[in-house]
Amino acid sequence: MDREILVKDLKKHIITYLNLLDMTPEDLKNDVPLFGDELGLDSIDSVELIVLLEREYGIKIEDPKEGRKVLVDVNTIADYIIAKTPA
Amino acid sequence: MPSVMITGIGAISPLGNTVDEHREAFAQGKSGLSRLEMFTTRYADLLYFGEIKTSSDALRSILGVSEKNVTRNSLLALHAMQEALQMSGLEPQQIAASGTALIGANTTAGICLTDELYHDANRDTNPSAYINDYDAGSINIFLQRIFNIKGVVNTINTACSSSANAIAYGTRLIKSGMADRAIVGGVDSLAKFTINGFNALGILSSEKCRPFDKNRNGLNLGEGAAFLILEREDLTGNKKILAEVTGYANTNDAYHPSSLSPQGNGPYLAMKTALETAGLKPYDIGYINTHGTGTENNDEVEAIAMGRLFEKIPAFGSSKSSIGHTLGAAGAIEAVVSVLNLMYQEIFPSLNFDTPMYEQAPAPATHHQKVEIAHIMSNSFGFGAIAVH
Amino acid sequence: MNIIQSTCISAQNTFLTPEPAFGHLPAGSKLEAKEPPYENIPRSLLRRMGKAVRMGVGAALPLIEKNITPNGIIIGTGNGGMEDCIRFLNQIIDYDEGTLTPTNFVQSTANAIAAQAGLMSGNLGYNITHVHRGLAFENAVIDALMLLKENPKANYLLGGIDEISTYNFNIDQLGGWVKEEFPATQDIYETTSNGSLAGEGAVVFVVGNAPDKPDIKACQTLHSTHSQEVMQSLGAMVELHLPGGFADVDVLISGENGDGRFKHFYTDCEALLTNNTAIARFKHLSGEFPSASAFGLWLSGEILKHQTIPVNALKNPGSTSTFKNVLIYNNFRGQQHGFMLVGLG
Repeated sequence: MDREILVKDLKKHIITYLNLLDMTPEDLKNDVPLFGDELGLDSIDSVELIVLLEREYGIKIEDPKEGRKVLVDVNTIADYIIAKTPA
Repeated sequence: MPSVMITGIGAISPLGNTVDEHREAFAQGKSGLSRLEMFTTRYADLLYFGEIKTSSDALRSILGVSEKNVTRNSLLALHAMQEALQMSGLEPQQIAASGTALIGANTTAGICLTDELYHDANRDTNPSAYINDYDAGSINIFLQRIFNIKGVVNTINTACSSSANAIAYGTRLIKSGMADRAIVGGVDSLAKFTINGFNALGILSSEKCRPFDKNRNGLNLGEGAAFLILEREDLTGNKKILAEVTGYANTNDAYHPSSLSPQGNGPYLAMKTALETAGLKPYDIGYINTHGTGTENNDEVEAIAMGRLFEKIPAFGSSKSSIGHTLGAAGAIEAVVSVLNLMYQEIFPSLNFDTPMYEQAPAPATHHQKVEIAHIMSNSFGFGAIAVH
Repeated sequence: MNIIQSTCISAQNTFLTPEPAFGHLPAGSKLEAKEPPYENIPRSLLRRMGKAVRMGVGAALPLIEKNITPNGIIIGTGNGGMEDCIRFLNQIIDYDEGTLTPTNFVQSTANAIAAQAGLMSGNLGYNITHVHRGLAFENAVIDALMLLKENPKANYLLGGIDEISTYNFNIDQLGGWVKEEFPATQDIYETTSNGSLAGEGAVVFVVGNAPDKPDIKACQTLHSTHSQEVMQSLGAMVELHLPGGFADVDVLISGENGDGRFKHFYTDCEALLTNNTAIARFKHLSGEFPSASAFGLWLSGEILKHQTIPVNALKNPGSTSTFKNVLIYNNFRGQQHGFMLVGLG
């Protein structure tokens, strides 16, 4: 899987699922914490991201602890998708 | 301002189809929570629910309703309202007088018809029979037509505190002189909409809910309806007065769309204001019918708010431990339960409680007991808005 | 109860404008609101809001910012957040009750507008949502009237809000409430067909006791399908509040909406008036929606304030040139009737 393409798609999905107004995939940096001050996401957004992973990538996160480890920034989510996707 | 008396009550819930059945089941500590037998959803065998085991068709025939477009919500509401009217002995012309108001609450209305609404809203088939009856107002418009009500007719939705607000609104109509009598209550039936909504919020329990217990892990959804007949004191004649509505308040927590502030500012203020409206002191309250949903957030915050207001927290319990959270009906059902408590001078056991939430946390009353009580407080908290009476 | 201030988001240019200008008369069966850019709503919150919540909060915030903290928030809405409601329902069906996102669910509850306005302004006061279809707004007005009797020094935010969502438009169209043909908006009154134009809007008032402002003297409702009964009830209200009865009504704001089935109610209402009374109507400007009478009430305030009836709203000029008393009569689907009486002094 081409990581660059994946990251670009993932960003598009994140913007759509969270309805991040006025944001383009370019604005969303790979290493900016999703739940930090800059984006101001909250617990409902984390549920939306879990749904995104399930619907778009067929990946289920059942354990909230695992969710917290994965949903850090765009990089960590992309790595997780790559790790979970059969080669 | 005139006093407002309760002269009739009616209720249908998983614990029974009449008020008498409710009293007996509550006193015996019966649980109305079960897996689903009639309502189909993917969660039927995964979660516990408060399901009324009377089908909509059976309700239709009990009530003699032949129109096709009448929803389960309307049927349950009619059932409870008829019982309350009968108990109060109101004549048809009194019900249809311009001074008689009907104030009802619900949160699901026609949304309980998930599949029909899906097709109608997406316009992929011919209109269903329910095409004009999806909105929140449809239930009370149906009841208005049946009883030819000519006074104020209103529907309130403040989520889970809706029917507590309906009772307060009816009381205020009478106190302000805008109505002589008010038929007040609420209804909600099980719906895929609410089941999936609360599930997405992660607050449904896969066990029977355990209000105020350390190991509580969520609420159970239930269905039901309850109505109360309110009359201005001087109109009650020699009727039996069941109870009086003395205080009520509606405040807003202004903290989060779906959870309560850690200090319980909204609940605290609502309880405090309700006492002030009633001209009572905290020590006058003999029992609190709590909101007590069994979620981590609600019960902890409600206990904190009670602790802030009461030097010594009175006996309390949660009707939701027996029937689940009936949303728009909860406030009215719990008001009916409170009226029963006052009428028979007894309190009912709160179920599934074992371990206090923390050291010295308040514990609900878990046994059926005869008590002397003059005043009961009934709490209802909702998404964003909060009410108590 | 006086209208101290108001804001109006509608299909017309009415939001924070000095005087109503009703130039926007599009063709079609949908009159969509002209929404402002909502600069005072944080983007992090705006992104979650459905249209009804957005319009309601957008209309409420300028009033909250300008005023002392209101003692409570009272909203009337027939449908609440219908778009979010059906989006959530679609998720349920399309994903067969699988993992669903809660945002649509939380936003779909009708009380999300009042709750969100309360949350954003830190308002701990009274907070309620009236949802009784075509009388949702009138019931909110009755609530406010009672509250001000209970607390004469208080002031409240009072709003009427409804959105056109794809879905309620579908439902209304299937139910026969939207005209099948597409008349030019100003021509809807000439048609005799069923239905009206779909509309939407958010009208929010600050109400309190302020004697020099337009005074909502009375608000009354009735469920009936009989015009005679409706007119009797309307007459009784007018006689009770105006010493000269209908002769004292300077303006009638009529909820006429071009639905041939219910036109007779408005004709019968006009027949009660004397030649003094000017007649205004607004559904060709706002479209029809359950809380449309809030637009009518807003218009009454503007007419009293500016002492003129916007020319596009005028049906019949009457012989009075000073406007003191305005009667608003609106019915929803020939079943729910609302009367409001607004006056100066």
